[in-house]
Amino acid sequence: MPSQPPPPPQWVLDLNSAPVSKPKSSIPDPPGYTATVSSKQKSQSSKNAVRKAPTLEEMDTLKVKKAWELAIAPAKQLPMNAIGMYMTGNTLQIFSIFMVFTLFKTPVMAVLSLQRVFAPFETPGTSNRLIAIKVVYVLMNMLMLGLGIWKVNQMGLLPTTRSDWLAWEGERTWSERAVPREWL
Amino acid sequence: MRLHAALALTACLAPHTLAVFADDAYHIDYHHALVGFPKHDATFFQQPYASSKASLIYTLSQKQVIGAVNPKDGALVWRQAPSTWRNDTHGILRSGEEQDTVISAVGDNIIAWSASDGRLVWETRINGATVEDLEILQQEDGTPNNNAKDAVVLLSEGSQGLKRLDGKTGRVKWTYQDTSGDTPFQVSTSPTTVYYISLHTPMLGGSKIKVTSLSPVTGKKLDQYTLNSDSEISSHEHILFAGANTAAPLLAWTDKSNKVLRVNIIGTKGISSFNSPSKEAVEKITLHAPNRVNSLVHFLVEYQTATGHSAEIYHVDLKKSSVSKAYSLPELGGRGTFTTSTSDANVYFTRITAGEVTVVSSASHRIVGHWPVEGSTALTGAHPVHGVSEVVVKSDSVSAVRSAVLFSNGQWALIRNGEIAWTRPEFLSEAVSAVWAELPEEEALAHELEVEGHQNVLAAYIHRVKRHIRDLEHFPAWLQNIPTRLLGNLGGKSHDSAIDGIQHDSFGFHKLVVIATENGRLAALDVGSKGSLVWNIDLHQFAPETTFHGPTLKVSRGYVEVKDAGFQGSLFINSTTGGLLSSKDIKVEPSSLPGDQTLVSFDLVNGELKGFLGAQPDSEPVWGFAPPNGERIVGFTARPIKDPVASIGKVLGDRRVLYKYLNPNLVVVTAVLDTAHSASIYLLDSASGNLLHAISHSDVDITRSIPSTISENWFTYSLTIDSASGSTFKGYQLVVAELFESAIPDDRGPLGASSNSSTLLPSSVRGDAAKPHVLSQTYLIPEEISHMTVTQTKQGITSRELLVTLPESNSVVGIPCNVIDPRRPVGRDPTAQEATEGLTRYTPAIIFDPKWHLNHKYEVMGVKGVITSESGLESTSLVFAYGFDVFGTRVAPSFAFDVLGKGFNKVQMLATVAALFVGVLFVAPLVGRKQINTLWTA
Repeated sequence: MPSQPPPPPQWVLDLNSAPVSKPKSSIPDPPGYTATVSSKQKSQSSKNAVRKAPTLEEMDTLKVKKAWELAIAPAKQLPMNAIGMYMTGNTLQIFSIFMVFTLFKTPVMAVLSLQRVFAPFETPGTSNRLIAIKVVYVLMNMLMLGLGIWKVNQMGLLPTTRSDWLAWEGERTWSERAVPREWL
Repeated sequence: MRLHAALALTACLAPHTLAVFADDAYHIDYHHALVGFPKHDATFFQQPYASSKASLIYTLSQKQVIGAVNPKDGALVWRQAPSTWRNDTHGILRSGEEQDTVISAVGDNIIAWSASDGRLVWETRINGATVEDLEILQQEDGTPNNNAKDAVVLLSEGSQGLKRLDGKTGRVKWTYQDTSGDTPFQVSTSPTTVYYISLHTPMLGGSKIKVTSLSPVTGKKLDQYTLNSDSEISSHEHILFAGANTAAPLLAWTDKSNKVLRVNIIGTKGISSFNSPSKEAVEKITLHAPNRVNSLVHFLVEYQTATGHSAEIYHVDLKKSSVSKAYSLPELGGRGTFTTSTSDANVYFTRITAGEVTVVSSASHRIVGHWPVEGSTALTGAHPVHGVSEVVVKSDSVSAVRSAVLFSNGQWALIRNGEIAWTRPEFLSEAVSAVWAELPEEEALAHELEVEGHQNVLAAYIHRVKRHIRDLEHFPAWLQNIPTRLLGNLGGKSHDSAIDGIQHDSFGFHKLVVIATENGRLAALDVGSKGSLVWNIDLHQFAPETTFHGPTLKVSRGYVEVKDAGFQGSLFINSTTGGLLSSKDIKVEPSSLPGDQTLVSFDLVNGELKGFLGAQPDSEPVWGFAPPNGERIVGFTARPIKDPVASIGKVLGDRRVLYKYLNPNLVVVTAVLDTAHSASIYLLDSASGNLLHAISHSDVDITRSIPSTISENWFTYSLTIDSASGSTFKGYQLVVAELFESAIPDDRGPLGASSNSSTLLPSSVRGDAAKPHVLSQTYLIPEEISHMTVTQTKQGITSRELLVTLPESNSVVGIPCNVIDPRRPVGRDPTAQEATEGLTRYTPAIIFDPKWHLNHKYEVMGVKGVITSESGLESTSLVFAYGFDVFGTRVAPSFAFDVLGKGFNKVQMLATVAALFVGVLFVAPLVGRKQINTLWTA
């Protein structure tokens, strides 16, 4: 019977196995001290962070947040545009016409590409909540359009007054016609 | 000063500075500067100054207008109308030999005019008198006088007698007072004596001719005798001739049946009697004698019968004081006239008939010159009435003769060696009414379109295709015209001048104006070709034995209806040819009113305006309007039948609308109260007789006319304010009133939006007939307005212009409507919104901007009326003024926005297009190569 090899000495054991954890002590580490972590541990810990995949709910919340931001964005441009419109005056000039044109074009294009804009945030979980966001988005764009309409009205291009419909109003017909005798 | 500055500022601010463009002047407008019918004894050839080679024709017309006409081309050199269109039939114009003045006498006014430019040299007014005759003292005590020659005037009424006026200053040198109460007749001078001829009317029986001889130096009576003329003379008209300024002044008269001619040499008592040669009854005897002191004492007696005319030439023997017949000229059929001209001492008589000009010497019956007269369209069918001649004599024969002859059709023509050099349509100076007539082609087209309008779609289509096929016959001519048209367009020349005859043009500028004159002459002018005469007829040929008193005209399709107080019914004259149409030829045209309208006619009856249902004058009046307080209606103006309105409202600065009160039956009645010197203007609805608005003015000079006009929704009138009746100033006012349905914008007044209305039977729900809201404003104007009218365009889109006639400055002025807008803010500057409407601050005075004068350099005299018409272009209105002168132009109140101006360079445009085309040709291969290269490299 072969004799059992003698157990390795303690130092070998100590050498081979680093202490798993620091001995718990009540004394905190001094400031500025960072406990050295082994590379293995390091890799282990980072692997653990990625892996810790967010839950679906978390993800949806995130997407919704992002979508809200997008929906509110047109409103942020509104004051800037309003000042611009006010500044250009009510005369028909190439600049004001151009600005008014973009003012009309942007919201309309934005609304038309509604689905595409919100497509990245579309998940089964968010789709219900997205409806409200889309409505707000459309509303914001409508605000923008409203600004454009206000501007066009200021420029006198909207047929809102009586004079704009004057051409469709007819002269009265008179049941009698009187002429001097010498004209007959 | 401040006022001036303000006025200058407003003048600068006026947004519409309308003007006649320099390149349009003399092209779009035309002017017949007339003098009227020349009077025979006041028309002569004369050098404008002593050393002048050429002579001018000076004349005093029956309208008392003095004119100098260039005999070369008939152009007017100068003219003066010293009396303001008085109907004095008596006016005298005389000129001394080798003088630089001509002296006229009209009424009590004797004026010397500079012969070369018509400037006034001196003027003498003898108050209360009438100048009966005027003669120039050619010789002083038998010797020629080279200074300014004095004039002797014979006056009647007031200070009857003779006065000698200094030729330089017009001061009276001596006066011979005649207190006998005889009728002054004429003054005649011989080198040594002044003869004063008067008609002595004893208590019993006929008049006797009394001749008083005076010394020309002192004016003292030398001798006086009475001629035994039996009872043959009872008034002026029976004396044929009292020779003036000849070596032996003659006095000639005839018995009532024109059978015996009696001639007396003034200064002697002997009377020679001659029997008239003709077997037929002589209608008229005229005596033609030279008017020069140093010419032979020969004269010609012209006998006119119903069928022909003849003449006899007489010689006067001064020593024996006898008159003998030398020879006679044969009788010629038709009418003719004789003129007298002198060359040195020789006297030549020119016989002018419609077909030939013959010159005979007074000494023998040999014909020294003969020319056949070329026919001229202007003188077709006319015969000479009277004339003056100038002859050029070379070695005993007449080498040239020119005669200014008045023809019976009212043309004043110059016949130079048988050739008609020019004609002046002097009869147009008598115009009393004028109307626009369409060209036949346009009328035909309008008729065809109307036919199509009444058919169903298929029939109309077939009709149109047929019409187009028919139109193809004009195609070759059209093709042939293309090159000339193109060249004309490119050359920048207006092809207006190339058009001869009446012809349709694409812009509709060619239209006819038919003019009627006072004494029954009718003429048509083509306004598109500078007012040239198209035809000219005498209405007496259609209505014999009618005395016309200013015929009135009414135009219908293709014909003109002439009415006159002188005859019953009416004449229908073809407007393109001037031929008479019988009423059978005329399709009775449906009235211009739509069928469903009730016709109301109104007229001034016994000082009251009365409206009648229908056209019958004898029906019971449906309404009557008599102005209150005993005012007298002086006139009324109705809205024209054709008065298109483009917009029924006026758009304000804030884009609201003031609705115009557009009633076709509006009539403006002007009435005056003589005792109170006030004038009232009443606006009536002439269908119901309702009074819509009334304005009263005090301190008005009611002797002056109150012209008014009404168009669209505004009316205007002008008044003369008289300082004599209490007002602090004298001046002229122009009042403008604009009518709106309501004072509130965007409101259509009591009638609301209903599309039809009746004032005769107002809707019971809405109660009374709607009265307009009237805005009115008064402006002070610098001159009196004698007549006003408004421009007309096809659709009424173009803003209107008020055309006023200023008799003082002989001009026609177009006032833009925004200048007289009654909405101009008073006492404050316009707000921004008002400024966008073009309203400027109200200024009480309007200065007639020189740019508004349509007549620019022309002097348009005696305008009685201005008529306007639409043209083919919406921007342009045709204007025609008649009366004494004839003037026509085109106006574009909102500028010519629908036609290229003359400044548009068509050649440059074509060159640009061509250059671009060439550029494309060059660049195309380059681009192609580049595109292929990119395909290979990519």
